Amino acid sequence: MVMVDQIGNWEAQIRKGWLEVAILATLWRGRLYGLEIIRELETSSDLVVAEGTIYPVLARLRNDGLVEAEWEEGLSGHPRRYYKLTPAGRKRTLVLARHSSVFLDKMTALIKPLLAEGK
Amino acid sequence: MSIPIEPALQRRIDDYLTRLRGALVDLPPEEVAEIVREFHGHIVERAESMDSLDDAALTRILSALGNPLNIGSLYQSRAMVARARASTSPLLILTTTVRWAGKSIAGLAMSLFALFGYTAGICWLVGAILKFFHPDRVGLWVGPHMWNLSMGTLTVAERAREHATEVLGWWLVPIGFIAGPFILILTTLILRWALRFAFPKR
Repeated sequence: MVMVDQIGNWEAQIRKGWLEVAILATLWRGRLYGLEIIRELETSSDLVVAEGTIYPVLARLRNDGLVEAEWEEGLSGHPRRYYKLTPAGRKRTLVLARHSSVFLDKMTALIKPLLAEGK
Repeated sequence: MSIPIEPALQRRIDDYLTRLRGALVDLPPEEVAEIVREFHGHIVERAESMDSLDDAALTRILSALGNPLNIGSLYQSRAMVARARASTSPLLILTTTVRWAGKSIAGLAMSLFALFGYTAGICWLVGAILKFFHPDRVGLWVGPHMWNLSMGTLTVAERAREHATEVLGWWLVPIGFIAGPFILILTTLILRWALRFAFPKR
């Protein structure tokens, strides 16, 4: 049970660490509102645990000048807040993506033999 | 497509948003209004994506969103750090640093540094002011049984016991008025710089 809890905590920390990169990556192709970002993350990753935690991250990215937000009336009648990358945000996203890719390649190379042996 | 929301369910949504608003008390009102508006939109849109909204469905939506108190603290911690980093108020910077102390060893170390820095700065200032009122009892003392230089008030009997001599005399006043603010400003600047490492990015 303790082992399961420890793995759960470790996984939660990993998710937190990757969330910013993942959010920036979802905005790479264009603007999205909060729920669209969450849906995108739900289909492409396991990163979202509590949906509400996405919004404070977006607020911080906005404060850091990496994304900008604008309100727009949705078709269903209630307003949506759309987020898009700023030029600084695009640069940061690219840098983080490159670092992430190198990091993941090295980790994969490290654990691949271990997984093969463990079969 | 908008779906009708029963009054009882609407009350639960309002209650959730009220609790979220309550967890955001330190933020500017216009920012709180925008956050609440965004969460309201999220809940309504999640509800609209369902065939029908009943109590169980709303529970799932609100559970997936998370505890409003936890969400509020995520906004508040970062907002507080942002404000402290932009501020020159030692009180705000100290409060933020103490809050940081509860999160990490680095925060604890910076809190001790803040305590030491602000205490030292205030001591020099207070010493310089008190020198006018108690010139014989306020000074910078050196004695054989003291570890190092000490500043404070000693009675005549204490001075005789310690064989201490006062080394600054009236120089304590200008030195205190320069050293005090200097230490306070330096401590504030160092803490403002250090706060950028508080509450690491998610």
